[in-house]
Amino acid sequence: MATVTYDKASRIYPGQDNPAVDSLDLTIEDGEFLVLVGPSGCGKSTSLRMLAGLEEVDQGSIRIGERDVTHMPPKDRDIAMVFQNYALYPHMSVSDNMGFALKIAGTPKDEIRRRVADAAKLLDLEEYLDRKPKALSGGQRQRVAMGRAIVREPQVFLMDEPLSNLDAKLRVSTRTQIASLQRRLGITTVYVTHDQIEAMTMGDRVAVLKDGLLQQVDTPLGLFDKPQNVFVAGFIGSPAMNIATFDLVDGNATLGESSVPVPPAVSAAVKEEGSDTVTLGFRPEALEPVSSESEGGIPIVVDVIEELGADAFVYGQPAGPTSELQSDRMRSETVIARVEPRNVPAKGAKVNFRVRPGNEHFFSVKTGARIEA
Amino acid sequence: MSALRHGKYPFILTFLIPPVGIYALYMLSPYVQAIYISLTEWSGLSANQKFIGFDNYVEMWNDDQLRTALRNNLILLVVVPVLTLVLGLFFASMLNVGGRGRSQAITGVRGSSIYKVVYFFPQVLPHAIVAIMFAYVFAPSNAGGILNNILEAIGLGSLTQLWLGEPKYLIWIVVLVMTWAFVGFYVVLFSAAMQSIPRDIYEAALLDGSSRLTTFRKVTLPLVWDTVQVGWVYMAIQAMDGFAIVHIMLGVNGGVQGAGDVLGVAIYRAAFADYDFGYAAAIGVLMLALTMTIVVLFMRVLRRERVELA
Repeated sequence: MATVTYDKASRIYPGQDNPAVDSLDLTIEDGEFLVLVGPSGCGKSTSLRMLAGLEEVDQGSIRIGERDVTHMPPKDRDIAMVFQNYALYPHMSVSDNMGFALKIAGTPKDEIRRRVADAAKLLDLEEYLDRKPKALSGGQRQRVAMGRAIVREPQVFLMDEPLSNLDAKLRVSTRTQIASLQRRLGITTVYVTHDQIEAMTMGDRVAVLKDGLLQQVDTPLGLFDKPQNVFVAGFIGSPAMNIATFDLVDGNATLGESSVPVPPAVSAAVKEEGSDTVTLGFRPEALEPVSSESEGGIPIVVDVIEELGADAFVYGQPAGPTSELQSDRMRSETVIARVEPRNVPAKGAKVNFRVRPGNEHFFSVKTGARIEA
Repeated sequence: MSALRHGKYPFILTFLIPPVGIYALYMLSPYVQAIYISLTEWSGLSANQKFIGFDNYVEMWNDDQLRTALRNNLILLVVVPVLTLVLGLFFASMLNVGGRGRSQAITGVRGSSIYKVVYFFPQVLPHAIVAIMFAYVFAPSNAGGILNNILEAIGLGSLTQLWLGEPKYLIWIVVLVMTWAFVGFYVVLFSAAMQSIPRDIYEAALLDGSSRLTTFRKVTLPLVWDTVQVGWVYMAIQAMDGFAIVHIMLGVNGGVQGAGDVLGVAIYRAAFADYDFGYAAAIGVLMLALTMTIVVLFMRVLRRERVELA
């Protein structure tokens, strides 16, 4: 058990100007499940590999517990890693794969056998112990890779997109298995994924990265409710948040015909930075249909309707006389709104939506940072 | 479909007959001819070819020089592949996974891309040149012998020898030269095999606390074993030959007292010095039988379950 601390850790690949990971400051508590999430190329895997010792730390330092591991070889760090492609030894049986690290460490044979058997029981692998990896399904291989990490009883688990090679259904069930296993073992875990749903469902806390920079670390709900900048707002949540640039006129954020009241604190902050526009975001769930006459509505022509049973989402384009302006100012191609699943509008229909008061997110146009209401 | 199938066999045969015919004519028929010639007494220069049954084989049995050649061939067969493959594996693993770099956890030792080219140099030299070069290396000091002159220059003059004048050294010098000439090829071959092992397997081994030696023994070697096996068979066949190097370095008689003789040179001598093509063919048949036996044996002994790289 241990904490993990990134202290201004940077990784600059040779011949590159921009750091792949730029002074990452992050503290992971003992026993915590922390998820690193971000689009591809954001530096999340590099961060994990720096902790593993597979990438050099060019600046700053990394500590596990009180130990400075910045330049320590991987084997001395007391970590175990689950790789994206599992990296099982193809020529060894499942039990040899799981016991390899212990064997190298000179653990007595009896103990190796016992620990491998315990892990196999935990992961439901008992009947496969003598098989080679090629005779296993993807899900079983994934569990062997988990087992290999568990057997070590390390201070920290590192997982690099361990679910990305599984089919969708298996991914969902394995997701919960890994999360519950981690809670049971109580071992500090750093988990890398590009899938924000995995991040939200598994992590105690989630760290969002972009271009090597840490954007925000918070609990899943914290990220969802109070994204600290436009990127996090757009990245977290599915379907994605609707984000557009609005003009600030007389205490209202207006864009064409639509207008949303802006809290005085936000207006003041926008004025202070010398701007007359504000980036406004609202989640699909925050939209509700209103009658076409009401003030400040956002008229939308329905393109596509996704009916998921429990939910229904309308994908549409802004309508009305100012639709072109509205489309130009939007961050995404479409406006997405959640509607009552049993009462969906027809395709091509024009629906007037408004943002439920209190569900708006305001961001600075200049810095992208959140403006607190 | 049926129209196609109707003409299928003539169609296939038109493509098959020329290559199979050429193969039979130029590859298989010489074997058959050689076996027949080995049962005759023939100078190779006249049409006077006399069938003598197995007399040539009986003569082989009583030929002491041939025994020396056979013994040398067996030494080459055992020692050269072992030396070459072990060195090849060692160098290849140092070039590909031996280093611990700054930019990547798993990489070759520093300058490995240069070494890869350098190791391949001997492979592009014809064996004739290799043999001439090493004849100079082992020549006496006053004939420009490189080794002896180096030994003298560094104060080890007492170790100088007439290397090629000492019967007991000859075959080991041939072993050394052949190993030198072949190791580069196996470095390249094994490098390619090691490159195809997924990097994350090495990383997993690194995290599991595996040292370089353990990684080599427990991970690299089992995963390139198929290639080692192929390399071993190929090297054994090449070691059975050794003609060019022995002939050029030691001469047609296999050096002092014929101590460096090999079967290939014995064939050449029988055919072109003694004009006894029948006897030469008989030695050739012996070599063929030996080579086939060795290949089959190696294939059997080294066969293992194939490993699939994920």
